[in-house]
Amino acid sequence: MKKHWIIAAALGMAVSLPALAQDKVKLVDVVELSGAGATAGTNWKNGIDLAVADINAKGGILGKQIEIVHYDTQTNPGNTRAAVQRAIDEGTYAVLGPVFSGPIGASMQIAQRAEIAQLVGGEAAGLTKQGNQYLFRTSLSQSAAMPKIAKYLKDTVKAGSVAVVWVNNDFGKGGRDAIIPELEKAGIKLAVDVSTEQGQADFAADAIKVKNSNADAIFVYLNEEESARFLRAAKQQGITKPMVGETTLLGAKVIELAGDAANGAKGHVGLSIDAPIPAFQEFGKKFQAKYNYASDHNGLKGYMAVYMVKWATEKQKKFDKKGVADTLRGATIKTSEEPGILIETTVEKNGDLDRESFLAEVKDGKQVITATLPKINP
Amino acid sequence: MTAPATHSAAPAARRLPLPAFVDGTLLTLVAAAVILWFVPSGMGRYGTYVLSLWLVMSVAVMGLNLTLGYAGLKSLAQAAFMGIGAYATALLTSKVGLNWYASFAISGLLTFAVGLVLGFPALRVKAHYLAFVTLAFSTLIWLVLRNEQWLTGGVFGLSNIPRPSFFGLKLDGALAFHRFVVVVTFLLAVVLWWMIRSPWGRAFTALRENPIRAASLGIDTRMYTLLAFAIGSAYAGFAGALYAPLVEFIDPSPFSLSQSFFLLLMVVAGGAGYLLGPFIGALLGVVLPEWLRFAGSLYLIIFAAIVMLLLIACPQGMSGLLERGWAKLTSKKEGAR
Repeated sequence: MKKHWIIAAALGMAVSLPALAQDKVKLVDVVELSGAGATAGTNWKNGIDLAVADINAKGGILGKQIEIVHYDTQTNPGNTRAAVQRAIDEGTYAVLGPVFSGPIGASMQIAQRAEIAQLVGGEAAGLTKQGNQYLFRTSLSQSAAMPKIAKYLKDTVKAGSVAVVWVNNDFGKGGRDAIIPELEKAGIKLAVDVSTEQGQADFAADAIKVKNSNADAIFVYLNEEESARFLRAAKQQGITKPMVGETTLLGAKVIELAGDAANGAKGHVGLSIDAPIPAFQEFGKKFQAKYNYASDHNGLKGYMAVYMVKWATEKQKKFDKKGVADTLRGATIKTSEEPGILIETTVEKNGDLDRESFLAEVKDGKQVITATLPKINP
Repeated sequence: MTAPATHSAAPAARRLPLPAFVDGTLLTLVAAAVILWFVPSGMGRYGTYVLSLWLVMSVAVMGLNLTLGYAGLKSLAQAAFMGIGAYATALLTSKVGLNWYASFAISGLLTFAVGLVLGFPALRVKAHYLAFVTLAFSTLIWLVLRNEQWLTGGVFGLSNIPRPSFFGLKLDGALAFHRFVVVVTFLLAVVLWWMIRSPWGRAFTALRENPIRAASLGIDTRMYTLLAFAIGSAYAGFAGALYAPLVEFIDPSPFSLSQSFFLLLMVVAGGAGYLLGPFIGALLGVVLPEWLRFAGSLYLIIFAAIVMLLLIACPQGMSGLLERGWAKLTSKKEGAR
């Protein structure tokens, strides 16, 4: 009987908490904190925490402090759906996350039905093709990044044939499916198509496959740690052809892990703490100071997601859940209006983003930006 | 894992003027179904969804309970069978346009048939070796689900899986679909209850307890081993057929090897060989982590600690614990009389 009273008291407190928290606005982040997506999800979560701390220190959104709650999805669609449903039942102002496309696919209809904006970290091209008016990306989609890579391979690297090495998860598969038609359009031959596993330790066989294909260049589309392992294996096999990648290949973590083997890697960078934008580097330093490791692009995405919500709320001058989505759709967020967005960002009608991006190369263990690419629709 | 085989006939049932076939387990099932029919009305969509998910997982665990708890076959492929059922239902309802009931039946038949085929090795190999055979099968199914993108959608999964309707009544809402899940789960549980009490159930238990004696008593061990495995697999298929419309999206991750281990954990934690064990096990596996979310990032650690403590305190799972408690209570009362 005593137990019942304790439970009742706890429930009572839980119910009365929102009443106490009237001067707060609740944001729920539903993200992969365990399972296959844990690395990406933890970066995303830390980026969000950093943004929330910054905003709260400066007085919150329209005078209200942000109350942030993180729910783990276990990288499982069923659990993601439960967590997003819970977030909405608890009256979240907007849903942040998840990062992996599968869990996003499982949960996006719920936020859509509730008419609540959902800001996700997913890059798979298909997400924004389903007519969901409440889904927003926080990075370029693969269908926006890949044409830039194909053009780079053709004009700058002057490759006639390319080996594509990709990781068989939704991130890698999405990238592979987006680059191959672009290569075809650019008249570049696909020398070999190499699928690898998430968490794979030994890339020697894959490197040999790539070497035997005699491709003019190698497009590497793997997660951070796997990218580093592949670069090392490629060096061991004596591959000298240019390694071209997208965002992850040139990331700080890959350079750190791959050491010398990373030198000469080049490609396209969307969000990177090494980009020649002071705000990005500033974010990178703050993140490093707080969490004691370098953020990847997911940390930046999480950070920007919170600022997208803040910007939309301040633009509409009220806390209107549906209004957040309406305000974001088709908007251009300038850094002069909201410094926290870090880089001028245009939100397209379907929830895709358009931003400047960069071409970079790794020289002497450092990422060097060689060119800035304009927005697709400036 | 060596729970006593007969436990269910609660003394209460004997005193009430009920038909002879009614026992405590059946009464509990009926009462639980009635409660679960009404309970979510004030719970919001999240609570309702978690309850539905619990019941769906219970169906899969019931199947594994039959193969492991009653027939003693250690299978690591239950999640893979659930995947076969889920993908079959998803493809048949969304791509072919078949209605859910037919898809449900086909999912069950398909997993039953695959279970029969996979069950053949069970005749030759036992214990660890059977676990390896099912482990390989589980990995194989996962690879097919992930790599055959033309059929399964690969890592992107299948979305917009329709929910069934009931004689023209739409079941798209959370509450309506929950009630539908309650009814289907109840029916499947009653079928299993009947089966366990039938000579089949006795034969399954005999297989687990002493296969040589079972054979010497004239039980066709080959047929019963196969049947136990196939029926258990069919229940996973039924669970999958409910899971797909519940989540309205599937990808390979909930059907991976680690999920098979998780289902195994639910059987053991709930009490292998008890008919109500799967419900308790799935409650531990599905609802407890959700309830522990208030603990923030520690919730999975707390969950793991609870499960470990439970299994140390009571190797027969929650059902064993409840049974011991019940036995103590009743013996005290009888002593007082």
